Amino acid sequence: MKYGFYPGCSYKSEAGYKESVEAVCRVVGIELRELPDWNCCGATSMISMNAEGAHLLTARVFALACKEGFDAVVTTCNACYTALRKTRKILEADPGLLTDINHQLVAEGLNINLLPKVRHLLEVFYQDVDAAAWTGKAPAGIADITVAAYYGCQLTRPWGDLDHPERPQMLDDFIKRLGYTVIDHSAKTLCCGASHFFPYQEQCRPLIEKIIGEARRKGAHMITTLCPLCQLNLDAGQEIRKGPPMPIPYFTQLAGLALGIPPDTLGLNKLLIPMDILLRKFR
Amino acid sequence: MLNNNVEKPAAGSTQRALQWQQRLYETAGGKEILGCIQCGTCSASCPLTDQMDHAPRELFALVRDAAMEEVLRSNTPWFCVSCYQCMVRCPREIPVTDIMYVLKQMAVESGMAPRAHKMPGLYNIFNRDVARYGKITGSILMGRYGLRHPVDMASKMGTGLQLLKTRRFDFTPQKMVDPRKIAALLKRKSMQIK
Repeated sequence: MKYGFYPGCSYKSEAGYKESVEAVCRVVGIELRELPDWNCCGATSMISMNAEGAHLLTARVFALACKEGFDAVVTTCNACYTALRKTRKILEADPGLLTDINHQLVAEGLNINLLPKVRHLLEVFYQDVDAAAWTGKAPAGIADITVAAYYGCQLTRPWGDLDHPERPQMLDDFIKRLGYTVIDHSAKTLCCGASHFFPYQEQCRPLIEKIIGEARRKGAHMITTLCPLCQLNLDAGQEIRKGPPMPIPYFTQLAGLALGIPPDTLGLNKLLIPMDILLRKFR
Repeated sequence: MLNNNVEKPAAGSTQRALQWQQRLYETAGGKEILGCIQCGTCSASCPLTDQMDHAPRELFALVRDAAMEEVLRSNTPWFCVSCYQCMVRCPREIPVTDIMYVLKQMAVESGMAPRAHKMPGLYNIFNRDVARYGKITGSILMGRYGLRHPVDMASKMGTGLQLLKTRRFDFTPQKMVDPRKIAALLKRKSMQIK
């Protein structure tokens, strides 16, 4: 299976996202073809100051996908996912604007002839890959590990079409499929503070504590995420003195472990809160 | 009780304020504000409502009163984290988050964005790097922000060191092959977005 891939700006320097995505895709037969010379989606920053600029940035990504002949763009970041989909919805409803944008992209020899679909890698793993591909290779003891699935905001909101906007299930089901024990909890889509966490750390701390505290109370060994900013905030923003540190691996890292991929090729050493103790359960 | 602070008509009903109000109503979903029933679901759903000088429900009451200067000087849109919780819950289907984006754009345009708030500056740094490199780099963004807010930065040294230790701290920005393409795109202002 071949997909147009939009990695987004944080992908490369994250806590093992790139390493684990590449390793897992190799094993399950997914080919992610990076869009050539892609640009930033603008996230929530560009649209806060300059709406036109924000739509042009994302439109260029669509045009790159068209040029490469992809009818879908796969992302690994919730912010990219929603920024792209936002523009897509607007362009879908306003052909005049699409024409206008195409007129501006033509300087670079680009053109959106068909708006590509936008998909998160979780969706691809869960819906496109045969369920059997994920099972049968898990190390003994995997069911002893309890995982809380954390979706963040911008995967299921604002549209709520991929999954329920407040009580989604897809990541839970995927992690279960891998063989882990998934615990139910009420913080699946609470906000982590996103980019506000950086300048307003003290104001956002309670948000992080709500999520970590809830997972801890429900008996999770770890929280798994699917967004680089959620991962960073939960990993770096924990107040350690409030309880034992909670590792925050990516869903792709958990998938890699379940597929029997050696931990050192999954970038697990890049997590700020290490998973060492839990990894011992695997040996 | 809602709008004690807008009883003074001076800022509320000037011609200019009515123009801003009209412009907001003309953006996508803007008119839905007229259907707001002041139930407060948005304010109760917001993760940072306690930081806002007007909770979203109050802000919409101010918009309807055309107290636009109060609205555009408010820190409310700048504390919006784009979690969209209010938007999926609003019983009148007001696109709250989208309206917050428009209010931020208007506040910048009118020069009324609150000076003391740190988000306009952070967005500026971010957007400038996008225009310069076509991409952003987390650690470079942190560094630039830190130069402006050294006190804030001190509290983040620990995280910075951890990122260094795990080899996730980039000292050079990632760039497009030809970032001028993005600078050129962002300079164009001819588009009309309704």
